[in-house]
Amino acid sequence: MQFVSFGFLLLLPVAALINFIIPRKLRYIWLLVISAAFYISIDVKAAAVMAGTVVVTYVAALLIEKFSEGSDKQRTKSAALIFALAVIIETAAMLIFRSGKILGAIGISFYMLKSIGYLADVYRGDEKAEHNPLMLALFVSFFPQIISGPIERAGNMLPQFSYPVTVDFDRMRDGFLQILWGYFLKLVIADRLAIFVGSVYQAPENCPGTVVAIATVLYSFEIYCDFAGYSSIAIGVAKILGIDVMKNFDSPYMAESVAEFWRRWHISLSTWLRDYIYIPLGGNRKGTFRKYLNIIIVFVVSGIWHGSALTFLVWGLLHALYQVFGYITLPLRDKIVEVLRIDRNGLSHKTIKTLITFFFVNLAWIFFRASSLEQAFVIIKKSFEFTPWIFTDKSMINYGLSAANINVGMIGIILLIVMDILNYNDVEIREKIIRQSIWYRWIIMIGAILAILIFGIWGAGYDASSFIYQQF
Amino acid sequence: MKIKISSILKTAAFLCATLACVFVATIVLRSKDSNYKYKDFFEKADQIDVLFMGSSHVINALNPAVLYEKYGITSYNMGGHGSIMQSTYWELLEALQYCNPKCVVVDTYMLQKDYKYLDEMDESYSDDDRASSISQLHLNLDCWPLNKLKIAIVKDLIQDPEIQKQFLADFYVYHNRWEELGSNDYKALFGNEDRNNLFGAEMRYGIELAPGIYPPPADKDGLGGHTVGEEYLRKIIDECQRRGIDIYVTFLTCSASTDDKRAIDSAQIICDQYGVPFVNMQEMGVVDLYTDLNDTGHMNALGSIKATECIGKMIAESGDLPDHRGDAAYSDWENSAESFRRGIYDMEVGSDSIYQQLDYLTQNDVSMILYINDGSQAFGDNQMQRLIHNFTLTPKIYHTDGPYILINDVASGQIYEAGGSEMLDHVSTSMGTLHYEPVEHLFRFLYAEEDPDTNYLYDDSKVDYDIQIITYDNETGEVLSHSYYKSYGSNYTKG
Repeated sequence: MQFVSFGFLLLLPVAALINFIIPRKLRYIWLLVISAAFYISIDVKAAAVMAGTVVVTYVAALLIEKFSEGSDKQRTKSAALIFALAVIIETAAMLIFRSGKILGAIGISFYMLKSIGYLADVYRGDEKAEHNPLMLALFVSFFPQIISGPIERAGNMLPQFSYPVTVDFDRMRDGFLQILWGYFLKLVIADRLAIFVGSVYQAPENCPGTVVAIATVLYSFEIYCDFAGYSSIAIGVAKILGIDVMKNFDSPYMAESVAEFWRRWHISLSTWLRDYIYIPLGGNRKGTFRKYLNIIIVFVVSGIWHGSALTFLVWGLLHALYQVFGYITLPLRDKIVEVLRIDRNGLSHKTIKTLITFFFVNLAWIFFRASSLEQAFVIIKKSFEFTPWIFTDKSMINYGLSAANINVGMIGIILLIVMDILNYNDVEIREKIIRQSIWYRWIIMIGAILAILIFGIWGAGYDASSFIYQQF
Repeated sequence: MKIKISSILKTAAFLCATLACVFVATIVLRSKDSNYKYKDFFEKADQIDVLFMGSSHVINALNPAVLYEKYGITSYNMGGHGSIMQSTYWELLEALQYCNPKCVVVDTYMLQKDYKYLDEMDESYSDDDRASSISQLHLNLDCWPLNKLKIAIVKDLIQDPEIQKQFLADFYVYHNRWEELGSNDYKALFGNEDRNNLFGAEMRYGIELAPGIYPPPADKDGLGGHTVGEEYLRKIIDECQRRGIDIYVTFLTCSASTDDKRAIDSAQIICDQYGVPFVNMQEMGVVDLYTDLNDTGHMNALGSIKATECIGKMIAESGDLPDHRGDAAYSDWENSAESFRRGIYDMEVGSDSIYQQLDYLTQNDVSMILYINDGSQAFGDNQMQRLIHNFTLTPKIYHTDGPYILINDVASGQIYEAGGSEMLDHVSTSMGTLHYEPVEHLFRFLYAEEDPDTNYLYDDSKVDYDIQIITYDNETGEVLSHSYYKSYGSNYTKG
């Protein structure tokens, strides 16, 4: 069962209704039941790996807690040993199983990071070990997040599972709107752009340069809409079930620097890497060189986490280098701005910075999407071949999308950009919609449902398991 | 935890409004092909006495308008494009949910198909074939409401559960028709979308000029009796006999391959076993392979008239079916017959293809004068000569280099022709008493003695055209059309 399936659309209202009816104290058991059912429906074998992870995490956390009590040095060492052992086991399991060849591995990279984060919190004393195994199992397997995150923290989730908030009508509406937006991003934009991008990236060497450049830009939007769409659905579903999940995207392409991009893109992973790798390595507290080295380490880890192919490593390294380069050149850039008397807060300056940041992020996405380094270089080279006649000779419609479909894709992207600009300026769209009169609200909601049903890429021939981040 | 009644009501109202909008979208977006074909079936189900079942061969060959015009028998053409026997069987079961025909005519084209699932077929088929097969099944199935029978049908015909979904909820496949919506899609909202006015039949108007002729099989054993097609033909016969419905099994004329002929033998064997009539039109000489086919597999409208009249005669002679002609309740059938006849008449009076026009002129709804100048490449065109010979039945057209004239005066029932330097004089026609005289290569006379100033066969601006066809009204003699053609080998361009 996938988010994009009739099964899920049937399960969700039933799950929400029962969750609404049963006593608050027992809700976590119900959520665990449907989480297990959801996961097993996707892959039974993978459930075995997850069960093992739950057991290891649960036992390790209890032992860490036990050995951490008191000031005995031997005890502390034992706790550290257990923590290290558990992390090694889980990391090894993630690397071994994530190919899916031995046992199913759906969502393994996400729930392993959750588990390791939890163990680290317990080890550092930031969290108490969870003594209720069902509660911990729910934390690891909570179904809205299980496939592609957000990678939540125990400190946020466990208290909510213990005492979920009341699901009122406003909360339902808010969650529902978030789910709709997620489906719109995924089905109307991402999957539509994926057709064009897939067609071009299949043989970029045979495509006109500008088409390759456009496909590369469209891929930036595709992966954003795909992943942010998933996250939005996950957050909305959790909200309807009475659980608040952290934001995972915050207008990332509005960022004015690569460092800011990472504060807005896949926030749950970025913060996880910050909290559990960058800061423990010393962060920026141990000198400039160590800071740069730590950044590089963090992004190398991020690249490896995304996949074992060299392209992911290069993608991660590129982001690290962008940031190191950004820090090194900061004084120079500041000087230029000062000499040229550029208004730092002016719209033009901000726009230029946003566009430059997008360019670099976009360049890195080529390595993320390409099947090999060789192909990535071909794409980059091709992208600089200027063939503007593709806009007038109708060759744009040779890549899987008709003119009407390209228009729908463009309208979707424009809507996305508008929404992101509003969000960037702290305008809460959903809140505004909810505050409208019932008629406007209904028109927006029903219009969105119809747009998704009609313009969405789904149905016959659609591969329901194709969320990009599901593979990680 | 308190739930406000107003919240529940609002949620319910929202769901209702959403479902209503989705329902409207479904109506607009769904493919109209199936509804187009079967809309009249649902509306006239209680008037239908005969069902024509089978593949596209049936769609093109058996015309309810002709059957009604000739015998007053009401029928519906349920044929489906690409319908193999199992599809036909299920189509019959669906149809029998709505009507009680007294007679079923089932064609056995593709009886030799020996695969069960349309999405699987066998290894000899390509993915495109499978996709086409699935697409064609939509024409057969989309119109039927979702119920137990439809679910059973889909499960029997389609193996892949993913593909099954698109037949059980057609929005699953049609939601992306948004970019091809036309006015007809919106008319469906008010129930006045286009409909097939031939009660399920579709006429084709081309001519297959070179149908293939294939040898018969070495034996008369047929297919062996164990193909999926044969199994379902038996089921169809069983079903009809169980319900007391007369059944005629046919093989409609086409350019039949050796495999088709083996299937014919099989159909004959099965019909003999069940004691039901087998109408092997291939052997009956009713339909002319050279003039009555649209392509190697399908009849054109002329073929359909002949085939329908042939079947109609058998059904009418059985004496069980009422003649509804003149009954006001059946005026739609009358209108359909008239409309079809008007279409044929239009083809006779004017057509873009000279082959087509000559072929349809054999219907004799109008009279015709054909003139071919000497030196025309039409004299080397066997197909053209065959079409002309269909009128005259004399060998003159085969032995002349032109000029050549043919006058087919329907009112008098006379046919006149002249070749080379021959003249026609005092030819009595509805146009008047005609006089024809070839003078020189670019000039000839054809005038009525009552109006000698009008030379029908000469026009300064059309001297380059080597072929002329004049049609005139059988009764009044009024000229209805005057077409000019230029020959280039066996290609003809109309001027």
